[in-house]
Amino acid sequence: MNSLILLLILMFGGALFAFILNKFVPALRDIFVVLLMLGVSYLFFSTGISNRLNFDVLGIHMQWGFTSASYLFGIIVVVLGSLALIYSTAYMKGKDRLGYFYMNFLFSIGAMLGILMSRDLISLFFFWEIMTWSSYFIVIYSGNDVDRRGLKYMIFSAIGAYSMLMAIVIVNSFIGSFLLEDVFASIFAIGSGYQIAIAILLMIGFGVKSAMMPLHVWAPRAYSESPMSYTAVFSGALSKMGVFGFALVLFNLVSTQNWLINEVVAWLAAITSVLATFYAVIQSDAKKLLAYSSIAQIGYIIIGLASNTYLGVMAGLFLAVLHAVFKSTLFMAVGAVERQVGTTDMTKISGLIRRMPWTFVATLISIIALAGLPPLGGFVGKWMLYEALITSGHYYLVIMVFLSSTAAFLYSYRILFGMFLGQEEPEFAHVKEAPLSMLIPMLILSGISVLSGSHPGFILEPIQSAMASFGFQSNLPHESWWELTVLFNTWGDKVALVNVLTSIVGVFLIALAFITIKGYKNQRYVTTKDISSSGEIIQPEDNMTFQIDFYKPFERAIWPLLKRKIDDYYTDFGKGLEALFDFVRRFYNGNGQFYAIYVMAFLALLLIAGTKYFGF
Amino acid sequence: MVISPVQYIAIPLIAAFLIPLFGKLNKELVRIIPGLVLLYLSYISVVLMNQVISQNTMIVEIIAGWRPPWGINLVFSPFSGFLASLFSMLGFIIWMYTYNFKREVEDAQTEKFYVLMMMLITGTIGIVLTGDIFNMFVFLEITAISAYSLTAFYRERDGAEAAFKYLLVGSFASFFILLAIVLLYSQVGTLNMADIAQKMPDVNPYMKGVILMLFFVGFGIEAEMFPLNGWAPDVYTQAPGPIGAIFAGMVVKAGIYGLVRVIFTLFDVHEIFPLLMIMGVITMAVSEVIALRQGKLKRMLAYSSIGQMGLVLVAFGIGTHEAVFAAIFLMFNHAVIKSLLFLSGTYLVYHSKEKNISDLDGIGKSLPFTSFLFALGSLAIVGLPPFAGFWSKLYILMAAADVRLIAVIAIILAVSVVEIVYYFRVLHRIYFRERISTIEIKIPSFNAKISMLILAIVIIVIGVYPDLISGLIERAATDLLDKQHYIQSVLSVGLH
Amino acid sequence: MNTILIQILGALATILLAFIVGMFYGGAHRKVIARIQNRVGPPIYQNFIDVLKLYSKETSINHGVMQHMGPVFAITASITSLMFVPILTDGNWFSNLNFSGDLVFLVYMMVFGSLGMALGAGQTGNPNSAIGVTRGLSQMVGYEIPFVMAMVALMTQFHTTSITGMIAVQQQSGTWLMFSNPFAFMAAIMAMLGMFSYAPFDIVTAPAEVSSGPISEFGGKYLGMMMTSGSIFAFVKLALFVDIFMGGASNLVVLVIKTFALYMIPVLYGVISPRYRTEQAITYFWKWPLFFGFIAILYAAF
Repeated sequence: MNSLILLLILMFGGALFAFILNKFVPALRDIFVVLLMLGVSYLFFSTGISNRLNFDVLGIHMQWGFTSASYLFGIIVVVLGSLALIYSTAYMKGKDRLGYFYMNFLFSIGAMLGILMSRDLISLFFFWEIMTWSSYFIVIYSGNDVDRRGLKYMIFSAIGAYSMLMAIVIVNSFIGSFLLEDVFASIFAIGSGYQIAIAILLMIGFGVKSAMMPLHVWAPRAYSESPMSYTAVFSGALSKMGVFGFALVLFNLVSTQNWLINEVVAWLAAITSVLATFYAVIQSDAKKLLAYSSIAQIGYIIIGLASNTYLGVMAGLFLAVLHAVFKSTLFMAVGAVERQVGTTDMTKISGLIRRMPWTFVATLISIIALAGLPPLGGFVGKWMLYEALITSGHYYLVIMVFLSSTAAFLYSYRILFGMFLGQEEPEFAHVKEAPLSMLIPMLILSGISVLSGSHPGFILEPIQSAMASFGFQSNLPHESWWELTVLFNTWGDKVALVNVLTSIVGVFLIALAFITIKGYKNQRYVTTKDISSSGEIIQPEDNMTFQIDFYKPFERAIWPLLKRKIDDYYTDFGKGLEALFDFVRRFYNGNGQFYAIYVMAFLALLLIAGTKYFGF
Repeated sequence: MVISPVQYIAIPLIAAFLIPLFGKLNKELVRIIPGLVLLYLSYISVVLMNQVISQNTMIVEIIAGWRPPWGINLVFSPFSGFLASLFSMLGFIIWMYTYNFKREVEDAQTEKFYVLMMMLITGTIGIVLTGDIFNMFVFLEITAISAYSLTAFYRERDGAEAAFKYLLVGSFASFFILLAIVLLYSQVGTLNMADIAQKMPDVNPYMKGVILMLFFVGFGIEAEMFPLNGWAPDVYTQAPGPIGAIFAGMVVKAGIYGLVRVIFTLFDVHEIFPLLMIMGVITMAVSEVIALRQGKLKRMLAYSSIGQMGLVLVAFGIGTHEAVFAAIFLMFNHAVIKSLLFLSGTYLVYHSKEKNISDLDGIGKSLPFTSFLFALGSLAIVGLPPFAGFWSKLYILMAAADVRLIAVIAIILAVSVVEIVYYFRVLHRIYFRERISTIEIKIPSFNAKISMLILAIVIIVIGVYPDLISGLIERAATDLLDKQHYIQSVLSVGLH
Repeated sequence: MNTILIQILGALATILLAFIVGMFYGGAHRKVIARIQNRVGPPIYQNFIDVLKLYSKETSINHGVMQHMGPVFAITASITSLMFVPILTDGNWFSNLNFSGDLVFLVYMMVFGSLGMALGAGQTGNPNSAIGVTRGLSQMVGYEIPFVMAMVALMTQFHTTSITGMIAVQQQSGTWLMFSNPFAFMAAIMAMLGMFSYAPFDIVTAPAEVSSGPISEFGGKYLGMMMTSGSIFAFVKLALFVDIFMGGASNLVVLVIKTFALYMIPVLYGVISPRYRTEQAITYFWKWPLFFGFIAILYAAF
């Protein structure tokens, strides 16, 4: 059997089996799902990209197979999927409806792989919708405020998906084929009005999943209220499907005459990233903070892709991979805190660093990567993005990105401080470190963040081949991945990552040795109540925690930007629609005589108008 | 026994009359006999369908030895045969569901129920199989009368009211169709549909228009076209659950069959297609929008059903081969999916007096199997893959795109979003609310579960592998569009 | 082997230079303020005495590992940034890692220290520290934007993102970049006011409000290391501005003159100004500096 089919059968059949297994032998469920996912990962890596499968359904020619571009995203999916499932076994322990949860979890991972292996628009859409509803079922898993939150996700997903579908059928009506290669080959032959419409409709679809303004309103709560083990995949991998789609559209379906589309997309993404960052800054719940941060980060990725330069696209894809790595680590870390402490509200928790040191380490590394500070991977991506934008003349765009990245420091610090630093309250004294099966995925992912900072080659290599399949010919000298440590922009300016790493680590170690050797042994730990307070003695019961209104001054400064939320407009629109619907409903007033009158009136109308207008 | 299409009509009719007699022998026989009949009908469907498809013909059955155009004949063409097979198989599945349904009602009631149900099924099958326009009217009346009675089956005030409304509007339908037939007969002097089709070009265009409009309105009422569908929501709400499934799965389909047979074969005037499409769009948009604001489950399903019929009309109105294919596919999908929804939904609100959606709060825990199937049906009806509804919707959109009806695509998709909203709201209630209502839960009987499960499996299998059935539908679409072939096949019978 | 030795020696020399110059400037700062306020003020070498005293103290308590590492982060950032900033235009000894990173990298490297420091301050649990940090970070969002705008303007104007490239541009044309793109210079200088966090932007450490803010729990060698880091960092910033806007410096004397002239801008501006509130500081940077930055980019691009 073709390994592509086997992959999907394993995923979907396994998902159903997990559901049934949970009914009868719940003890085996966790082992089964993890083994299944590992098996699928193995199968995925052994499949390769040359495998093609052609078949017809309902007279529609379809083709499956990975390209090097989709393979790159596939790696994200299977790696994150496996790690998140391992994490999940401990995180979800003891919760309700685990069969339901794992079934939809596996469905959505299977659907993502399906999307990536689709070489035609119909199977793409087919799997896209499966991904939508399976992720939707997990979004509403927690069950609170389902009607608003869940429906919002579903409505926006549906709007997005149906825009895509509309574009797909229109494309087919011109080209007569759904195959991506045919579409790419002949898209520019059709009228430019339709070309633009198709590109925009497709991008609405992908924009919803990648939570781009103004289609993002579902995302904050969908991310934050799903179980964290799924949000790791949701934000890490599932939103990347939108990015993947954007790449397909921007590189293959937008002609160079329509460069304005690129600009508009880039600017929308930039506005998204700035506003989402600002919202992230003023959040006090760690999950919501990360949710907004995800929206912002995907903004960078799309800016990179829309810049349409070699370095920019590389930056976009690199950030996509890296965002998957560090953001899922962060969601997992927050999930660990949630599981061990019971809340993620940062106004309630503080000072967990000594209780959950490994979780802190993973968080710290991921936050450094997120903030884009050298010497971790995030910096590599940011650097390439800035250089690409500057060298290609996107001057004001780069300022937006800088603004957003700088403001990102604020929430980066907030999440570290809010959960791990600050006052160590006695109520958290009993908190224990998360179990090993949660720590290991986080630490593995943190390791990737660290390695990618000095030797990004192991990510850039597959990205280069992915870009080749998008039609960007590599202008970098071909090196082995461990040699690829110096980055250049098109003006020849560079940053030597190993030098940076050596300098930072060297100075850090020397300074640390300097400060530690002399007398660290004699130092003793004192509690966080024992602090300088202008001579007053702080009692253990005194509240010295600073968590509420953390960035109030900043909030005041940016308040004019945040006053009016897009969400409110949507709500008003929805209410208006419902009122209209109620009005329409009055047509059926329940009176049989009226119905009889309708019939007579309709017939009369037809006889009068019909004979006139239908020409007989 | 030689298998022939006439058995479709004869056997269930005979069975319907004999049921009271069997009831005297053994009360259980009343419930068993219809099942056996429907099973047999399903069997002959398979045989006949196989024959029709493999020999690429249509089976024309002459009744009483008068060959067409003089006698009444039954035409088992790929299209009508497909629908007849669908009705018999669906009928069997619904029978399986009803076998233990409402055991608490008295025997006389049960007898009545099955007699009427058999007549209803006979009527719908008759409508699609007949080759004679007046005969079609007769079957329509059989269908309508049994439908009126079944609507008022529970002998409650609301049921009676709904039945009365149905009767009122339905009698308009009968009247218009009859009038149209009379006018038509006065013009062409024949009642055989093939013969009428052949002679249609000679008819005075003005008369042609008037007759067509009368047919359009008459069948439009049966096909639940806006604004003629005022009766439908009440009927769906008041009729017993399985009968709701029969209405949605068969009766409406028969109405649509009549409409398209008249438009495509008898008249073949393409000028009416835009009207059909516009009415379809309006029907769909209005009823889906209203469905969103419904508080009662069955009413919601009813409006949803009307909306889907609107979509079928849109597809027929586009009129290309692809669109007709999509329309027939959607008729099939809708029959299966909406039946599943009615059947499972009935158990969800079994003991609820008001049948309110709010009574479903948290019922997913008490009725996991039924709720699961309802959820599956909901996903399928809104056209989410990998379920059957997806492919038909896709094909309709493709057909619309091919003739550049961008606005229609946009409306269909916008309406789909509305559909998603109200179906998913129900799912939220089923699964994510705490159960507060004290209404007693009715656990579905085993046979009911099996029948629902069969429908669910069909939905998934067709969704994953639509080519299983696409061949049949393809032939059905070809049949409907190839008027000459129909005329030839019918009129040449018995000539050799 | 030899080159590595020279590199290390050069790096040490650079650090020493930066430390000494930075320390003296700190002393000068105190002196200038004192004179304007009509006081005698401490001697100009006072900061050396302070640091020496702090290093010789024994620290006996801490609040955890992150606090211990906070000053280390700070000095790591200062020294690493220093390595990437050209000190002299033609000096082999001070070239260090000048060619290994560009302006974008340096912008990021420069915030590394404050964030590391913030972590250390966070672990102390002193609410004043955390408040100080939030103020500092908020203010950073304010001044980074005009600064980056100025940098982007220069980069687009001269098609290079590296500092050495910019020095080369100035040497070729003979014009300082502060004259080539005066708007960029205006924006950058106003941003520099924020970078130095002297009054009126001393909201981070504001002694009367948050009792020295982030550093309030740090004493002894921690404070010593932070002062060292601060001095080096001040020098880094000045050298960077000299490199970019004032044509670099060919020898140490020129370097000192230019940096000192530049240094007097925030110092003198601060003496006469009362402290801003945080949001006022942010909006300050988002008014005129932003405007100048905007114009600078327009000027550079067209």
